[in-house]
Amino acid sequence: MVAKPRETSVKLAVDLGGLAMKNPVTVASGTFAAGREYADFVDVASLGAVTTKGVSLNGWEGNASPRIAETPSGMLNSIGLQNPGVEHLKEHELPWLRTVGATTIVNVSGHSFGEYVDVIESLEGTGLVDAYEINISCPNVDAGGMTIGTDPRSVEQVVGMCRAATKLPMIVKLTPNVTDITEIARAAEAAGADALSLINTLLGMAIDARTRRPQLARVVGGLSGPAVKPVALRLVWETSKAVKVPLLGMGGIATGTDAIEFMLAGACAVAVGTANFTNPTATVDVLNGMIDYCEQQGVANINELIGALQC
Amino acid sequence: MPQLVNEKARIVSNEQVGPRLHVMVLESPQIARDIKPGQFVHMKVPGAESHVLRRPFSIYARDAAAGIVEILYQEVGSLTSFMPGIGEGFAELIGPVGNAWAGPALYAEGACSHALIVGGGVGAAPLFMLVEQLVSAGCATDVVLGAQTKDALVTCGRYEALLGREPIVATDDGTYGYAGFCTVPVAERLRDGSTADGAPYDYVAVCGPEPLMKIVAGQAAEAGVKCQVSMEKRMACGIGACLSCVVDTVSGKKRSCVDGPVFDASEVVW
Repeated sequence: MVAKPRETSVKLAVDLGGLAMKNPVTVASGTFAAGREYADFVDVASLGAVTTKGVSLNGWEGNASPRIAETPSGMLNSIGLQNPGVEHLKEHELPWLRTVGATTIVNVSGHSFGEYVDVIESLEGTGLVDAYEINISCPNVDAGGMTIGTDPRSVEQVVGMCRAATKLPMIVKLTPNVTDITEIARAAEAAGADALSLINTLLGMAIDARTRRPQLARVVGGLSGPAVKPVALRLVWETSKAVKVPLLGMGGIATGTDAIEFMLAGACAVAVGTANFTNPTATVDVLNGMIDYCEQQGVANINELIGALQC
Repeated sequence: MPQLVNEKARIVSNEQVGPRLHVMVLESPQIARDIKPGQFVHMKVPGAESHVLRRPFSIYARDAAAGIVEILYQEVGSLTSFMPGIGEGFAELIGPVGNAWAGPALYAEGACSHALIVGGGVGAAPLFMLVEQLVSAGCATDVVLGAQTKDALVTCGRYEALLGREPIVATDDGTYGYAGFCTVPVAERLRDGSTADGAPYDYVAVCGPEPLMKIVAGQAAEAGVKCQVSMEKRMACGIGACLSCVVDTVSGKKRSCVDGPVFDASEVVW
């Protein structure tokens, strides 16, 4: 049985920097492929958007195995942006999302500033993309990714170049692995980001004491899952006070209440990530939980909740 | 690909069968009906909320009419060590995931008449349904099982009942059957041929620890026999989305969950 959100009179539509979402729920890039694998479980077109796995110009093989390790209430991953390249995405995945009627956010990755632009240029004019998410925060690659997203000047430069390449809504995904995220957020906003998404994973590691070996082949990886939620909430809250653009909040969201907390902290929309692994209907379950909350609390329009935290 | 389900499965029983070895019986009618030998279920273990990841378990046996599946599991980490304490309740099973052993299809095509099936430790479990199908189809099938010690040979009785004779057994500590790894009797069999009529084997299937599979794959390759292995890597989604469980193959990285778990041994880069 394919899960769908239930009927409600609560107004759920949100505007994420020009991207019209029918409800605030999307997925964290890399946890949902391009949606097709989850189609046995959830109606992917009923989500606010599907965010596809990070795509680069040419295929990337990713990192050696083991690539994941479970940690208390979380997991580490070091997949390393394995993907078959943008042409494959264009030919085989994005048309399917269009066919089923899904709103599509394409997560764009690159080894170099120019590669981000190349990926965007190859997708421009296809009509297959509703928004881009610029991934300057992957902790699992040596070039590109987080190396760009931790330096405000690099952020301004690459976001500016991407901005020049597209008029579609552009979300910039931020890393939590910085001293002051607001500095990075302001740089992205100044360079033309329409929205910011946060957080990418927190850099961590796990060790097998018995073998005295790291649990990941790459030694370090990105921590996600409920364990990171308090950190993510704090960063969303701080960032929401620092910028005017809307935020896509994520980090450990597994229930409707978790998602509402992110909206109260200042997020306009939310992404479900690791919870998809625990529960393949997590996206729809989160959305239904948000509807329950709104109905119980007398919230007629979910936009009322954005930044409604009372401190 | 056939439709996957996330089935809420009642735990019927959960009993210890050997040292750190347990059999869990679950009521899961759709999966019991549809699962093929080699496929697995991805289980959300109940009552373990701090574990965010499911665990893949192969199916040891199923009764489609009764709607039940059995898994054989070994306590190896914190979650599998928690599992024996689970009493009544419900687990969630995604399934049936992955591909199936090719043996029965090869037999039907006339490409396999003598099979050698090799199970190391709990690797004996996902081979049982395969052997059931091969035997009932009429394929001459020899089974070699390896275990650390006699007490851990928990699948032996069931294989004996199925085959009508004892499987070939090796124990690491020599407490039963051949002393040492089961690669020793595997080498003998590949040299001497099927116990049925001495004919050479034309199909080998192996499941167990990766070093064992690698050795048996090498033995089969040397003997010129087609060999399949069942790969298990650490998995997150279990449905092909996350790319956690990739296996290195001659044609690049493949997902052990949905491109496998069964691979031709010649395809795997060990």
